[in-house]
Amino acid sequence: MTSALLSIRNVEKHFNKYHAVDGISLDIRENEFFALLGPSGSGKTTLLRMLAGFETPTVGTILLDGKDVSRIPPNHRPINLMFQSYALFPHMTVAQNIAYGLEMEKLPRAEIKSRVEEMMEMVQLPHLAGRKPDQLSGGQRQRVALARSLAKRPRVLLLDEPLGALDKKLRGEMQLELKRIQHQFGITFIVVTHDQEEALVMADRIAILRDGKLLQHGTPLEIYEYPQTRFAADFIGVMNFFPARLVDGALRAADGSAFRATVPDTIGAGEEVLAAVRPERLHLGAGETENRLTGTVRAMAYHGLDLQVHLDTPLSPQPVMLRLTADAAEGHALSIGDTITAGWSARDTRVFAG
Amino acid sequence: MADRKPLYLMTPALVWLSLFMVIPCLLILALAFFRRGIYGGIEYDFTFENIALVFDPLYAGIFIKSAIIAGQAALIASVVGYAAAYAIAAMPKSRQPLLLFLAILPFWSNYLVRTYAWIVLLNREGLIVSVARALGYNQELPSLLYTETAVIVGLVYNYLPFVILACYAPLARMNAEITEASRDLGAGGWTTFRRITLPMTVPGIATGFVFVFVLSIGNFVTPALLGGGQFQMIGNLVYAQFLTANDWPFGAALSMALIAIMMGLLTLQTFATERASGGRVRDADG
Amino acid sequence: MGNRAPLPLMLMILAAVFAFLYLPISVLFALSFNEGGMPTAWSGFSVKWYYSLFANKDITHAALNTLIVAVISTILAAILGTLLAIGVDIRRRKGRFLETIIFAPMIIPDIVLAIALLSFFSLLDVTMGLHTIIVSHVVFNLAFVCSVVRARLKGFDWSIVEASTDLGAPILVTLRRVVIPVLMPAVVAGSLLAFTLSVDEFIIAFFTAGAGRASITLPMQIFSMIRFGVTPEINALSAIVMTLSVVMLALAQRINRGRLPGQ
Repeated sequence: MTSALLSIRNVEKHFNKYHAVDGISLDIRENEFFALLGPSGSGKTTLLRMLAGFETPTVGTILLDGKDVSRIPPNHRPINLMFQSYALFPHMTVAQNIAYGLEMEKLPRAEIKSRVEEMMEMVQLPHLAGRKPDQLSGGQRQRVALARSLAKRPRVLLLDEPLGALDKKLRGEMQLELKRIQHQFGITFIVVTHDQEEALVMADRIAILRDGKLLQHGTPLEIYEYPQTRFAADFIGVMNFFPARLVDGALRAADGSAFRATVPDTIGAGEEVLAAVRPERLHLGAGETENRLTGTVRAMAYHGLDLQVHLDTPLSPQPVMLRLTADAAEGHALSIGDTITAGWSARDTRVFAG
Repeated sequence: MADRKPLYLMTPALVWLSLFMVIPCLLILALAFFRRGIYGGIEYDFTFENIALVFDPLYAGIFIKSAIIAGQAALIASVVGYAAAYAIAAMPKSRQPLLLFLAILPFWSNYLVRTYAWIVLLNREGLIVSVARALGYNQELPSLLYTETAVIVGLVYNYLPFVILACYAPLARMNAEITEASRDLGAGGWTTFRRITLPMTVPGIATGFVFVFVLSIGNFVTPALLGGGQFQMIGNLVYAQFLTANDWPFGAALSMALIAIMMGLLTLQTFATERASGGRVRDADG
Repeated sequence: MGNRAPLPLMLMILAAVFAFLYLPISVLFALSFNEGGMPTAWSGFSVKWYYSLFANKDITHAALNTLIVAVISTILAAILGTLLAIGVDIRRRKGRFLETIIFAPMIIPDIVLAIALLSFFSLLDVTMGLHTIIVSHVVFNLAFVCSVVRARLKGFDWSIVEASTDLGAPILVTLRRVVIPVLMPAVVAGSLLAFTLSVDEFIIAFFTAGAGRASITLPMQIFSMIRFGVTPEINALSAIVMTLSVVMLALAQRINRGRLPGQ
């Protein structure tokens, strides 16, 4: 195992009786693009603020390069934060904003100048050096904020909902841009987001937080394909759930049909469970897969890339969702009210405690 | 029809303001260019004498003196008021409205009474002297009342709440992430204050300063009560032209000079505000 | 403000500033109950100065005048100022000239407005008295009511007025049933503040009261008491006047849902 650049050891943060962060341990490696993913109130922002130095852990330590930095004030940490509101200084120009952190390091004037130019080049804004923040668009502000926090070449760059204020199209572009810049600078990025898609696209590794606790961490693939809790399965992407009971090593659904799946050891015979499968793992027709269901088409939504089909089934009160590729959809002329059969393999079935 | 509505709603007030503010003020403006009659009346022939008299060394001296006193009062009030506003803004959010309310409360009590309170304190037999005596200071104390200092203290006391209010607004509006960003980029507390907080809140200080200055330079009650009779500021000079010297045209000219100074400062302040703010502070939406 | 200001220093500043603001007033309050009436020596608690205050014909006369001026000028200002505020708000186009006229009464130095009105009235040969004070007080009072009501109107959705009209209500009914209820707290708060301003106003009243003692107001009475012979009664009078202002401000603040006046 590579040694961790940033090591979060059993960190807790209490606000009076409320535990915003409740015992989190995580190792983040050099050059990693790491995402802290969770709904609001999950403690992700509090954790980020502890890394930046704006909050002090109530319990636990934060190590940077093996040294405890938990109590070092933000202005003495080689960690910078890109704020959610960007927090650009409204009375300074773009260039002055970027130079600010360098001036704090008392660098020679010439070096500050060349570094500011380099940073503006990097975010493709050299023509806006003399503008004030209120004369910039949202996307431009975001780039300035990024340039400002990167100018100091921190060991770790923290980004608080970096794309939250941008519109959808711009967000897609900036996701790739952030990855490019991270790669170019070779700096560890830790991004806080509530947007699972953003985390999947950008991050090398993701940690899922809920109620101040770490639920699971791993690569996007691990997180998406092997969610360890029902919450994680539901939070990331779309998942179909069917209530079932474990009987003789097989799952038996409400309507009596049986499913095959790898059942975790923690679940005992007779227990109520939830079987789950991703919409894109369902395919039309019984085929040669182990599991199948039959239902009535209730609604269809065309998304260009794929066709989403909602099925009413006896398995669950919620409709089951299928995602058919354009090719598969063309082969079957579906219409509302049709009764169809869909199949999926045991490998793609996940089982969670009910 | 929809466009005429606002007009008939506004008419009564606008007529009132025109009749009892605009016309009287224009009258004063006109009066400044007429000659004083031999027995104190007004002769209706055009002259620049009154305006010229304002720049006479004797009166210009009073203007300068008034400006210096008003400037000192405004400066002290700005510094103290800003500090107070900063301290209020640093308190927990739930406490701030009450503190602010308490800070402006004295502003709403009677001006004369507030000034009179300082007579009681500064009197030769007043509280400050008594306390000094009680503490064993037996030397003859210099008179505190009827001095320039007394006037400045009175002005600061009376207008301080206004400065606190003016400074608090931009301080409270500041996005917490802005100062945090400064800390994050390596600045200490003092540097953050000097380079971020202070420049961003200059408009509030400017507003406070200009208002204290304007209200002080034309003040007539405070110099009359705390400065004693021997002490003249422009306000007292205007007062005298109308009620004792009976030279209304000169009094009018003095008032116009007062208005000119006020308008000049307000323009300057607007200009400073527009330059300093550089746009609105965006609020964090998290 | 996220800046971590050193708390002890902040508390010290607050303590010092509040001491500076409240000590002088508190001393007056304390002295108003001082038996001997001397500012230097405490000789026992007494309310006798309050009694002698009410027995003083000059003071009760001035107080009555003040009340007449404040009540009438406040009522007039409340009507004119509210209508003005509504008119300005409906008219979306912001005229710079209009703004200046409305704002002017609050920033013109009192002494200038005072002599302007004095010149105006004497040029027209108007006999001055309580009526001229009332007329003059309406000028700044209406500007004040207008500013409080306008603050309230900020963010008011005029489409509800259109909705009321659309539902068949004539404009006056709309005003009475829709606009006034929304604005009432601001109008009342603004009026209370205007009343306070009027009760406390000295300079303009002083210049527009005319000769003689007939139309002397309370601040004028206080001024002459301070200037020409301080009697202990003035402490009691000060305490009453200040208490009145404080009650008015607190009331206005409460009615206008915590919105601070003058902001």
